[in-house]
This record gives sequence, structure tokens and C-alpha cells, in this order.
Amino acid sequence: MDMQVPKKKLGLKERYTLMTRDLAWDTTYQPKEKVYPYADYEGIKIHDWDKWEDPFRLTMDAYWKYQAEKERKLYAIIDAYSQSNGHLGVTDARYLNAIKIFLTAVTPLEYMAHRGFAHVGRAFPGAGARVACQMQAIDEMRHAQTQIHSLSNYNKYYNGFHDAPHMFDRVWYLSVPKSFFDDAITAGPFEFIVSIGFSFEYVLTNLLFVPFVSGAAYNGDMGTMTFGFSAQSDEARHMTLGLECIKFILEQDPANLPIVQRWIDKWCWRGVRLLSIVAMMMDYMLPKRVMSWKEAWEIYFEENGGALFKDLARYGIKMPACAEQIRQEKEHLSHQVWSAFYNYSGATDFHTWMPTEEEMQWLSQKYPDTFDQHYRPRFEFWREQQQKGNRFYNKTLPMLCQTCQIPMLFTEPGDPTKICYRERDYKGSKYHFCSDHCQHIFDNEPEKYVQAWLPVHQIYQGNCFPEGSDPTAPGFDPLAAVLEHYRLNAGRDNGDFEGSEDQRNFEAWRGMAKRND
Amino acid sequence: MAYALTIEPLGQTLEVEDDQTVLDACLRAGIWLPHACCHGLCATCKVQVVDGEVDHGEASDFALMDFERDEGKTLACCARLQSDVTIEADIDEEPDARNIPVEDFHGTVTRIEQLTPTIKGLFVELDRPLDFQAGQYINLDIGAEPGMSRAFSLANAPSNGNEVELNIRIVPGGRGTTWIHESLKAGDRVKLSGPYGRFFVRESAARPLIFMAGGSGLSSPRSMILDLLARGYAQPITLVYGARNRAELYYHDDFVALAAAHPAFSYVPALSDEPAGSDWDGFRGFAHEAALAHFREDFRGHQAYLCGPPVMIDACINALMQGRLFERDIHTEKFFSAADAQQVRSPLFRKI
Repeated sequence: MDMQVPKKKLGLKERYTLMTRDLAWDTTYQPKEKVYPYADYEGIKIHDWDKWEDPFRLTMDAYWKYQAEKERKLYAIIDAYSQSNGHLGVTDARYLNAIKIFLTAVTPLEYMAHRGFAHVGRAFPGAGARVACQMQAIDEMRHAQTQIHSLSNYNKYYNGFHDAPHMFDRVWYLSVPKSFFDDAITAGPFEFIVSIGFSFEYVLTNLLFVPFVSGAAYNGDMGTMTFGFSAQSDEARHMTLGLECIKFILEQDPANLPIVQRWIDKWCWRGVRLLSIVAMMMDYMLPKRVMSWKEAWEIYFEENGGALFKDLARYGIKMPACAEQIRQEKEHLSHQVWSAFYNYSGATDFHTWMPTEEEMQWLSQKYPDTFDQHYRPRFEFWREQQQKGNRFYNKTLPMLCQTCQIPMLFTEPGDPTKICYRERDYKGSKYHFCSDHCQHIFDNEPEKYVQAWLPVHQIYQGNCFPEGSDPTAPGFDPLAAVLEHYRLNAGRDNGDFEGSEDQRNFEAWRGMAKRND
Repeated sequence: MAYALTIEPLGQTLEVEDDQTVLDACLRAGIWLPHACCHGLCATCKVQVVDGEVDHGEASDFALMDFERDEGKTLACCARLQSDVTIEADIDEEPDARNIPVEDFHGTVTRIEQLTPTIKGLFVELDRPLDFQAGQYINLDIGAEPGMSRAFSLANAPSNGNEVELNIRIVPGGRGTTWIHESLKAGDRVKLSGPYGRFFVRESAARPLIFMAGGSGLSSPRSMILDLLARGYAQPITLVYGARNRAELYYHDDFVALAAAHPAFSYVPALSDEPAGSDWDGFRGFAHEAALAHFREDFRGHQAYLCGPPVMIDACINALMQGRLFERDIHTEKFFSAADAQQVRSPLFRKI
């Protein structure tokens, strides 16, 4: 008689392997180099893809089921929020300007992250890495969609929310996030995974999520807050993937270390420059504040990032050289960036304002060594001018950094009274930089960055006017033409918050919601 | 009331206190479960409850959906037991783990030997044999205070019959070790429980082995090496043993003799603080430096087992990684506790 030997139940790890990477095959009628053409040119040496440890074990069937349920829940809350006029419950209409920045500057990045991960999910020769990246590509697509749905509720009532994708490709300050991600997705697959999967998702993403998601919670924005909670269970997976990638690459070959170190140096600085807009948002745009930028920076970068670099030191990775400058800049960043946006408030899709006296006191207290000395006098002067009906708008175009594309608004390390300028001659042309670190990034890859699409240059070259414009026609107003090209309604979508349509409407509607007249 | 938690695919059972979460109990027992936020939001620690009842605690509705609750999923960082429970978690299986149940044992102290000026060898004849895997430890009841116990690695090979050996360094001011060093004597009755721990040789990988020991951390490596040599392990074995000076280096002659008798076994002692003029002709410096020199900074293809004070473990891990041996092949006796989880520490490494 045959004995039935009970089969041992498979562990999660074995089951996951069978359902994912074991389904891969080696190609026979095309050589591997042609199937994975981007795998070698960056100089990263991988000897054994089987050493890849799957950072999470989520199979597609479980993924769909889980995400579908999560989104049903999210949309139910968004519906309830919009049907109950939840927008009138936010602290103050100034808050909505932070959300405009989120929709125009961050949401399109989720979509670009989707493209990047879909690309590397095809480009890596290892099936385990491909599966994990493809899974993240779907997450990023969902995040773009759910953010648009969470935030577009506000487009029914407020200005500046009407055309985020169009603006993302055109508006001057949005070239900062756009060029950041263009840089990443046009790099090779290994640089992409180090730049976005590791540097951004692991080292910097908390600094993006805390102000926006906690900021939303503090300011009564339940839609955005709920999106944040629904995304958090995905973010943990993204961080694990970033960490696994860096370990895997460093363990495969000692020759990978200097390459990875250069990428970490580069993307840490690129990420910090990108987040300067978040610094401003945190300190100036949340009517109910969560914590100061400096405090967030100390917790999420200096403390958590410090612990990470301490562990990475075992592989020979060093803290990026820019860390010291970043440490000094945390005292100044938000104030300098807010000043710049206040100047150029006539050319953005959101409003700016001068902080109230109570808010300035908070800033003095959070930045005791810098705010009163360097920024308060300027802000008080601007507030005074504005109250006299003389609101200051800068009408000239700024010089941009060739690498990060941010206007040259940052000061010299160690001297907050002097704007920092660096320049480089390359093949007969002059290039400008906001810092030593942006210049070093250029020096390493000049052929990439000479191609930068700099909004100010493009405006001067006549490439940012509506089709059919004739700049030689009498009375041609170039600034008005640029804003039309951006699809911005000058004075309605932007300018000072004081006296704006958003301010008036919010007050009127909130009044109606509370009174019977 | 405490409940029993069985963790699949390991098959190991732990006792979990009333207020303790599943994650905390596992980490304290040296079982690493994937985890990140530790407060129910990120879903990294999701596990399947195969049998029994849990309270999901503060798990977020987004991290643990209703249908998942219905399917028996829970978040280990928030879950508390309501009965005896079996979970299935995302843990690597350990083909070499024997999962021997923990039991209580009574015995009589047969002798206490002064091994070094600071370390004593305690020999206990148990009333019945203790089955354990070389490298595991026991908890010894300390007679100085009711309910007090201390963990010590077993220094003898498992084949030793009823007698167990513990090597105990006196901790200045430490109540447990002072009682052992100063009050305990031959003929005394003692009670211990065990075996505990997941520090054992992964023999099925059939790789050359490096043991790195510091001070009384020699206990587990000694047990493991004696066991391997007795059973004729086919791969090379190297013991790198660090002490401050010659007086603190114990069982030295035994290891020299073992190395002479077994061609596959190499013994590399290192002294970090030996007087310059002494007749010591071995390595001078720390254990990790001795290992780097002995292996010419290349540890590839090996498995390493580390046991000793935290500073030494850390230096050895750095040296091993410099010589391109990584986490999957490095085993330490270090445990993670809830305090470790709260401390600012990056999640780059799981167990080293």
C-alpha cells in the first residue's frame, strides 16, 4: 500500500520565489547584453543576481486585493470630505497654497517615479529586482492618481489648481522638480535606483511626508491626510527596496563603492536643494505649524540619516561632503526661499504673504540665531510697504543655477549677507551655479547639464510665449505673454494673498456655513 | 496570564507576557521579524495567524484592512495574544535549528575552577541530561535573590552527558556574578532553564568556519568547535581568540593541542595588552586585527560566528565586511530588544 507522505508546507519566502523570480527564464535566441542593454555601461559590476534578497514578499494577487480595498476606503473618505464641504474646515485659506505646491510640484513627480521604476523594472538583468521595481512602479502610478483625486476637490472652489500637468512642464519654478527627476530617469538603471530608491525614498522622503501629511492633519485637510495614511504602507516597502539595492550593489564588487559614493553625494545634495521649497512651506505656509524645518531636518536627516550613514560606513560609504553646508543652511533655507517666492509672486500659481507678528515671533523663537538678525527687518519693511499699497514685486528675471535650476538665492556658507555665485567655462560658454556642490555635479557630467532647459534662458530666447505671438509687435508685453503660456491668470492665481479672490471667497463661504443670513 | 506563541516556519515556541506584543516577544527571543514603524501604520510586520486569537491593538485601518483581519492577518507590532497562538511569519527557515523545548533542570555544583584572574569555570552535574545545540545558553537561578537569574552560554560540547560547564567573568558590582564568584561552592544545589538562543552552526551550508571570541565569549565557540571536531566536520575551522594578556587567555594549551591533532582546525590567539617584554610569540593586537592578518583581508566564502563584548563584535563585523563577508554569513550572539527598536538605529542591517 502506498503511503501518502504529507508535503511540507512552503514558507512565505519559498512561495514568493516560486511565484515571482522563478517564473523568469534565460534568453536563448538573443544574447543577454542585447536583452539588457543598460546593465553594464555605468560601471557597476554584478556577479550574482541570485544574491538579491527580496525586500518584501507581496505577490500580485495579494497586491490587487489589498490596494483595491485601501482605495475603496480612501475614496469613501474623500467623498465624505467633499460632500460635507470639508474645504471650509481648513485652518485658513492660506493653507491651500501649500496644497497647490503639492499638486503642481510633487504629484507629477509620483508619475515620473512610476516611469522611472517601470524602466528599471525592465532594465535590471535580475528577476528579483525587476519584480520589486515593477511593483513600486504601480505604487507610484496609484499615488499620482490618488493625489490628483484627493486634491482636485479644491479646484472646484479655489484658483491655481486648474492645470497642474501643463504647468509642470512650463512654469519656471517647477523646472526644479522636473529637472531633478529628468536627471534621475535619464541616468542608467543603477544610478536611478540609488538616486530615487535609496537617496530620495529612504533618506529624504520623511521630510516631504511629515510637513505635507502631518501639515494636512494639523490644518484640517482630511482628504490629503487620508491619502498620506493610505500611502504610508507603500512607502515602507519603497524604503526597504532602496536599502536592499544599496546593500546588494555594494556587496557585489568592491569596484562599485566609489561609483555609489559619487551618486550618494550627488543625489543627497540634489534632494536637499529640491526640498528647499518644502522648507519654506513648512515654516511659512502652514497656518497651524507642525514643527520648524530646522527641527524636522534635525530629526529626519541628522538623527535618522546619521544612524544610516554610521551603518553604511561598514561598507566604506562616507557621509556626503555637502552635509556640513546643509547643517549651516538649515538656519537660513526657509527664509531665503520664501523671500524669493515673495519677490516673484507675480509669476507663480499660488499666493504669498508676509507673516503676521505672531508668526514672526514663532520664527524668532525657532531660529534664534538668524531670523531677527537677517530676515525680520526685511520682512517688516516689505509688510510696511504692502500696507501702504506698495506691495513689492520683482519684475526682472533671476539667474538660475545650471544644475538645480533654482534662482541664485542662497548665501555663501558662513556669510548670510552675501549671495553665493559659482561659475565654470565649458566649451566656450559660461555656466552659473548656486553652490560648490552643484558645480561639482556639473563638473562630473558637463555634457548632461549643458543641455538643461533653463526657464529664464528659454523666456529670453522667446520660447515661452503662446503660439503665434509676435514679440516685435508694438505694445507686446513679454511677462503677460509668458503667464498666458503658463495658463496662469495673473492677479487671480497669484500675487499677494491679502485681497485675493481665494481669501474673499473662503471668508464669505465660511461665513455662510456658520450663519443664516 | 502568559500565552504560548509558536512561530512558523521555525516551529519555535515562546512564552509571551500579557502586555507584550508579538514583535517584542520575537525580538527579545532573538527572532528577527521584518518591522519598521513599530506603531501599526506601515504594515511591514504583517503576519498570518494560523491558530488562536489575537487583539489587533492600535493597527491602522489602512495598514490592516478588514478583509485581512477576517483572513487572520495581524500586525506583529500591535498584536497581543488572547490565547495560545501560532503565527506564520516572513522568516528564513533554518534547516539546522533543532528547536529544542526549554525545560527546567536541577543539579549539583561539582567544582569551580579559576580559569583566569577574572573568569571562573562552573561545573554542574545535572540530575538528567540537558539536550542543546552547541552555542546555546541557559538561564541560571541566582541564589542571592529570589526570582533572579542570569544568562550564560554553555561551554561544553552537547555530548558531555549530565555535566555542564559555564565560564563566568565577574562583573564588578554585578550581583549575579559576584554571588557565583564569591558565595557558590562545590556541593551546592542549583536550578537552571534552557536551552535558549539561535546561535548555532549552520552546518548544512558546508562552508569553512571562522569563530571570533573575546574574553569569556569563548564559551559558545568552544562548545561549537569541540562538537564539530568530535563529529568530523569536513570544512576548515579557525578560532580567533582575543584576550587582554596571557593570564586572561584560558584553555590556550587545549586549543594548541587540538590544532596539532586536527589539520582542519587553526587556532589564532591574540593579546591586546600583553607586556612588551613577555615571552608571548603569538599575535599582539585585537582579535579583528589578528583575523585580518590571518586571512589576508579576504573572508569570502566563509561563515563567521562572533561572541564577546559589544565593542569587539562591532570591530569584528567591520573587519569581516572590509574582507567582503556580509550579513548573511555573519552570526552573533547579540539580541535585539524593544529598547533597540526604539533607539535611533538604521534598518540597514537586521541582525548584526
